[in-house]
This record gives sequence, C-alpha cells and structure tokens, in this order.
Amino acid sequence: MSTLVIIPAYNEEACIARTVMELREQAPEYDYIVVNDGSRDSTAQICRDLGFNLIDLPVNLGLTGAFQTGMKYAYTHGYDHAIQFDADGQHVPSHIADLVAAMDTTHADIVIGSRFVTERKPASLRMLGSNLIAAFIRLTTGTTIKDPTSGMRLYNKSIIERFAVRGDLTPEPETLAFLIKRKGATVVERQVSMRERAAGESYFTFSKSISYMATTCSAILFSLWFRR
Amino acid sequence: MNSVLRGAMVICALLMLIFVTHKLRKSQFDTTDSLFWLFVSGCLLIIAIFPGIAYFFSNLLGIQSPSNFVFLAVIGLLMIREFTIQTQLAQLRRKTAALTQDVALHRASAISSSTSKGDK
Repeated sequence: MSTLVIIPAYNEEACIARTVMELREQAPEYDYIVVNDGSRDSTAQICRDLGFNLIDLPVNLGLTGAFQTGMKYAYTHGYDHAIQFDADGQHVPSHIADLVAAMDTTHADIVIGSRFVTERKPASLRMLGSNLIAAFIRLTTGTTIKDPTSGMRLYNKSIIERFAVRGDLTPEPETLAFLIKRKGATVVERQVSMRERAAGESYFTFSKSISYMATTCSAILFSLWFRR
Repeated sequence: MNSVLRGAMVICALLMLIFVTHKLRKSQFDTTDSLFWLFVSGCLLIIAIFPGIAYFFSNLLGIQSPSNFVFLAVIGLLMIREFTIQTQLAQLRRKTAALTQDVALHRASAISSSTSKGDK
C-alpha cells in the first residue's frame, strides 16, 4: 500500500529544509512531494538545491489549490493513501505510520492525526473556534471529531479520487462534514503530538481567523445541505 | 413601512435563498459567495419582520421614508460586493497573465535548446 505525503508550502524558506529532512529521516518508507504555492521567497530554490521532490506552482492558489495539486498527483500516480503534512514543522513524521496502521485496521476513509484523543483539550480562546466547529460537525453529521482543525489528515484512495476529480473539496473541516454527511465517509482519529511552528509566520491574523470561522460555520450549517 | 413592501421583502429574501441553494446544488457557487447572499437575505428578512430597525436608522440619517433607507442599504451592500469582486477580478487577471506567460516561456525554452542541438 503506497502512501504519498503532501507538503503544501507558501513562503516557508525558514522551515522547509528542516521539515523535509526530518521526514526523510523518520519516515523514509513514504513518498513525499512538496507543493510550492507560488512562494515569493526562496522556498522553491531551497527545494531544488537540496533535491527535494517538488511541484512548483507558477501562481499562488492558496492552501486548497496547493493541496488539490498534491491530490491530483496522488491520483494520477495511483497512490493508495495521501496524507496532508505541514511545511512548518508542526507535524511529527513518526506518527504517519500510526495513521496508516489505523486506516488499515479500521478501513476508515479518513484518519485524522488528532491532538485531543487521549490528551485533554485546553480551554483557551484558540480552542474556542475548534470547539465551535466540532459542535457544528456533531450537530449536522452526528460524528464527534475532537480536533477538526488538525491539518494532519490521511485520506484513502476513494477520497483521493474525489479530491482530484471535483474542484470544490478543501483540506478543511467543512469538507470533512460534507464527506461524512453527503458521501457516507467514515472518519476516525488517532492521538498524535504536534509542536509549535518552528520558524516563519502563521497565516492566521485576527481578521483571517474571523473570516475563516464565518465561512467554515456557514459551510457546515448551511451549504452542507445543498451540495452534492 | 407598508405591509406590501414588507411582504415583498420576505418573498425576495426567500427567493434569494432558493436561488443560492440551487446554485450550491449545481456546484456553481462557492461557500464564500453564498455567505454574502445569506447575509443579505437575512438582513432583508430581519428588517421585514422588525421594521422598527429601518425606522430607527432613517430617523438617524434624516431620511424621510424608511423604505428609502432599505433601498439605500441594499445599494450600499451591492457596492461593497462590487469592490470585493473587482479586487478578485484584478487578482485573477494577474494570475491568468502569469500562467499564460509561464506556459509560453516553457515552450520557448524548449525550442531554443533543440536549435542549438541542430547547430552542432
């Protein structure tokens, strides 16, 4: 069973070398691909200099477009699994094997690397958004996902195909809700540990967080019922 | 506010919702687009049900008729929408240009390497 690790990267010159080298060291059995999302810094150059597997997008598409590119690659190259993996060093590569094993045993469509299966979720402002999204997902689909915003998600072949063929699926919790509710997908979580971002800047400013919450909640509570 | 106008606003809000859900079903609208129309139809519904809101703002702004305020508000919302769309359009134009150039430049470099091979 082949697995592709998809690493979308936008302006990650500070972390990308460290992230990919750690991945190659800790999880050498998996193929990986860095998707450079039209970075304005030297992310692509670093990847080329160090011989990393690279898909170089000529324009910036955003996380969704970059991730879709990886999924299209996974689909055309016949991978059985594809996992979303952050370029900023927050995800720990040794957990990939745990998620793949979970998918093999449970035959779930999606396995989420969750920070809060066995560990308690902190009651902070940052987690407020996550709690709200989890509540809405439980309300609309009946499925409990403790860490809906975790970016470490393993997808199986049928989901890879959906991402590659449709233009409208995103690596976000609203797509999880859609796939569960409208496409009968099964989602399980497995405990993983994550680190803080190693270097560079997070995408999420205050206004971007608000707009993210608005579109996510509207998608889960409203659009979900009408999309096919 | 005339009850016929209020009724018309409710009907418009519902028609807008039906239109949006239809577009969503056909995957012709993104979630972000539908959010705006959801907001507009929600506002229309709220003002139709609670016309006091329109009375309050039209008094505040010195507008004689509350229904004029409703028209003004809708026009204002559409202008905001217009600005957003214009920004997105400018971005799309730039991206299309960049993509076109990228493809053309890739083709061009392939041609020059084959002619240099021919020279040898």
